[in-house]
Amino acid sequence: MDRRKTTGAMSEADLAQVLSQVRAGDADAWGELYRQYAPAIFRFCRRLLPAREDAEDATTEIFMKVRQKLGTYDSSRPFTAWLYKVASNHCWDTLRRRRIRQDLETGDVDALPLEHPDPGQLERLQNEHTSKEVRAGLAKLPDRARMALVLRYYADMSYDEIADTLAVRRAFVGVLLLRARHQLRDALGQPDATIAVKAGGGRKT
Amino acid sequence: MSTSDQSLANHFDEVTGLLYLEGQLDEDRAKAVAAHVASCAPCRQLLHALESESVWLRESLTTDDEPIPAHLVSVPERNSTHWGWIAAFGLCAGGLYTLWNGIVEPWLASISQAGLSQQGILTWFIFQGAFWKGWDAMRTLTDFMAVATLGSLAIWLFRKQWKRFTPIAFVMGALACALALPPAAAAADIERGDPSYTLPGGQEVKNDLVVAADRTRIDGDVDGDLIVFSYSVTVNGHVKGDVLGLANKLTINGMVDGNVRVAADSIAINGSVGKNITAWQDQFDLDEKAKIGGSLSLLAGNADLDGQIGGDLTVLARVVDLNGLLAGSALIRSQRLVVGPQAEIQGKAKFSGWHPPEIAQGAKLSSPIDVSIKGPGPDYASGRYYWHQTLSWGASFIFGLVLLLVAPHFFFDVVQSSKRIGPALGLGTLFLLATPIAAVIVCATIVGAAVGVIAVLLWLIGVYSAQIFTASWLGEKLLGGAAGASHAIGRMALGLAIIRALTMLPYAGPIVGFCVTIWGLGAIVLTVHRRMQVQAPAAV
Repeated sequence: MDRRKTTGAMSEADLAQVLSQVRAGDADAWGELYRQYAPAIFRFCRRLLPAREDAEDATTEIFMKVRQKLGTYDSSRPFTAWLYKVASNHCWDTLRRRRIRQDLETGDVDALPLEHPDPGQLERLQNEHTSKEVRAGLAKLPDRARMALVLRYYADMSYDEIADTLAVRRAFVGVLLLRARHQLRDALGQPDATIAVKAGGGRKT
Repeated sequence: MSTSDQSLANHFDEVTGLLYLEGQLDEDRAKAVAAHVASCAPCRQLLHALESESVWLRESLTTDDEPIPAHLVSVPERNSTHWGWIAAFGLCAGGLYTLWNGIVEPWLASISQAGLSQQGILTWFIFQGAFWKGWDAMRTLTDFMAVATLGSLAIWLFRKQWKRFTPIAFVMGALACALALPPAAAAADIERGDPSYTLPGGQEVKNDLVVAADRTRIDGDVDGDLIVFSYSVTVNGHVKGDVLGLANKLTINGMVDGNVRVAADSIAINGSVGKNITAWQDQFDLDEKAKIGGSLSLLAGNADLDGQIGGDLTVLARVVDLNGLLAGSALIRSQRLVVGPQAEIQGKAKFSGWHPPEIAQGAKLSSPIDVSIKGPGPDYASGRYYWHQTLSWGASFIFGLVLLLVAPHFFFDVVQSSKRIGPALGLGTLFLLATPIAAVIVCATIVGAAVGVIAVLLWLIGVYSAQIFTASWLGEKLLGGAAGASHAIGRMALGLAIIRALTMLPYAGPIVGFCVTIWGLGAIVLTVHRRMQVQAPAAV
């Protein structure tokens, strides 16, 4: 799968070499790896964690974990997939520790409107809002909805990976994503409203 | 939404549409959806809308308009902390050596002089520390560095711990300190006033007596120490040990065989004290009939000394009125010194103050008083002043350097927090003023004394560190943000130099110093608060 771009480009062969050097304890190779991926991971964290300082901390901590866990990385799989998995687990843990999740643990399709959305309205929404506004709207979403959208549309994770990270059934990922989209549409449609209430989430896990 | 001639039951729902677009449907279902879409305009529109929403989401999420913060650009090298650690341990070892030479040894010497047991060291530290004559020496660079290094190591240790164990660590630490308090406390009678406490005349307490009451009156005898936390304390009886405590008003009409070490608003000694008095108060009165066997060390507003003092006199006060017998030497720092006609100083006397001492005709002095007159405020003409400022700058810079190496994330976090000027100033003011008050209140309970002392120590470290963060913020403002610790060091050095120069200004200097301190302190509090908030729910 086409993973999110990172700064500059590193060919697979280069990456494999850098990774083996890092494993051998080469500090320069580690520096190269860090510089290559840190910006993308920082932005990833920035989209998931509400406070900028948290994202900065998380970025550093994620790379410390990566360095520790590099031995467990299976080189037959894409590195970015593994990296984002580590990052998303870390961020999800951070969010989970911070507060008891507000959204429903298991979803049901009934919670979604059966009607098709108005395509014209959707189009207006897309035209009227800048990327920055979308990200601001994202910050208002419940943690899991935000996670789902970022994992899917920023980190390009597969449904399996998302299900694994968020500890939900794979079949539920689609519902989760769609509900998150609804919540984002609502958030952008009424900028000051709190979305969690409307989402019908209330049962604490 | 437009109506279609096809029945609604044949339309697929939005989830199915999304799953279809994302290639998540099985083959049969996908084919069915594709077939339906070919002939159903509303569903086609839905798919189109969902797909453009996907594109829009991807674009919005991946657009980069926020640069990665400067300190994240540089690689967090674990190796680079090695020399930081070596430096920290080196400083720490040097610091310990200095502490031992400068503080512990003189302490032990003073303790035997003052007749305190080893067990009383902590108590002695609490009540004597502020009057230790070596505080001046403490201001030298080495000593400061030692304390600073130990302090920053403590911060680092705390930071590592408070992720999960903060509450436990605090409670255990307080308990450990409480247990480390003199075991004598175990052999003490502990009395709580209801609301006042009186030990009637003729009664004798065989052990130490610990009293917490509104008003405390000792008419009887206490064989051990009297440890008292009370609004007013009157000793008419006989205390064979020491008198230690906190009070608003302390009056000793009777006899104390040991030392008196107290903090109070006003103290009146009308009886006799066998050993030394160390006190911190606004008004100190030594009646002409009163006798002190040992030395008198005071930090006072006004000191009225009409009685006999067997040892030395050390006073830091506004006004000192000496009109009695002083067998030892005198070291007096005050705005004014009045030596009355009944005064007799048998040792050497040294006075530094704003005005020349007023010495009455009848006063007997063994030698002329060594007087140095210095007006309020710094002496701008002396080179020593600038040398001292440079040393202080160096000390704060090295302290900042150690902080940066030991706890870089915390450091950058606090600098970040100092950008929130309003909350930082507000919180800083609150903590600057409230912490000592809270610590004194906490100290009013025996177990709390340890917690109070720890709180004050942490507060002192925080107050001293504050300038580092404000300076880093200032340096960053002037030179712009840049990547890596080396740039941060340069910015901090510049900021510290500017702040140091500003605080040297007459009149405005102290105000600048105060603002810098509350700002930095507020930033520290903000950062600590945020970090604790992040970690706290983990304990739930």
